[in-house]
Amino acid sequence: MARDLVLVVLLAVASLGVGLAINHYSSQPLPLVYQTPEQRFDAELTTLVAAPPFKIAPAATIGLPEFRTIVDAKRALILDARPSLFFAAGHVPGALNLSRQDFARDYRRLTPTLKAARDQPIVVYCAGGDCHDSRLVANALLTLGFSNVSVFTGGWEAWSAAKLPATTGSAP
Amino acid sequence: MTGGDSRRRDYLALAISLAIGVAFIYAGASKLRDPLQFADSIAAFALLPAVLINLMALTLPPFEIACGLLMLRPRTRRVAALALALTAVMFFSALVSALARGLTLDCGCFGVGAPSRPRMWLESGLNILLFAGALTVYLRSTASRSIRSRAT
Repeated sequence: MARDLVLVVLLAVASLGVGLAINHYSSQPLPLVYQTPEQRFDAELTTLVAAPPFKIAPAATIGLPEFRTIVDAKRALILDARPSLFFAAGHVPGALNLSRQDFARDYRRLTPTLKAARDQPIVVYCAGGDCHDSRLVANALLTLGFSNVSVFTGGWEAWSAAKLPATTGSAP
Repeated sequence: MTGGDSRRRDYLALAISLAIGVAFIYAGASKLRDPLQFADSIAAFALLPAVLINLMALTLPPFEIACGLLMLRPRTRRVAALALALTAVMFFSALVSALARGLTLDCGCFGVGAPSRPRMWLESGLNILLFAGALTVYLRSTASRSIRSRAT
């Protein structure tokens, strides 16, 4: 019996070796430490927004007049890609904060709203000027299957310079 | 015990070995197809820490296939039967503990399935059968070995 138990343990150790070898040569190897589906999704989302700009599929861009019309008529879901601190200091009325910096966390928080808007127009903006956050977030949304995503290139800078209405705080 | 009884019991052990062997080769192969899904199934039991879940998910499929193959060969059947009896105890304990904690999950025993408590009860029952079968084969193989040893 004791000898048989030793053989069983050896069999288990050999199986571990074989399993690790199979995993090593697998096209999608498992990491050694388990990640929950939520952690894997977060990592995937974080990778999406970390894509270098040259890989970005060009989302459509719109200017201030068109953006203003859309905001006034509430014809699109407006997303602010800036960090939450800047969003709270002032944002376009009705906009939701889907920051590039905390994309995974914000995406999960906004999932019900975002899922309902999967085929609706979505406009993303960030600080303006040379900011890339809106393009990165728009690209991530396009990759995730959202079909109608565009970028307001003027961003918060153009909106506030035109002295248009603003909302403060974390609520839309 | 007559020679006829012995032969009948040998056939019984052979039939059990074949059934368990084929079932475990299939079960191991189905887990090997999607190790990530199997790791999720193990995690659903909430028994192992994160550092052991993927190691378990990588080890069990080759272990089951190896045991299944070893069950098919008379010379290696004894060790495989003991390994599978111990495995059955482990699976049964995990399932019963999950049922007692009110969890509803898919054990991942034969690939991906929908989480279901009736199925968990069924699988617990199957593990009792597996344990009984594997133990029978193990004891029978051990007895045969003793007889052979005494004869030589």
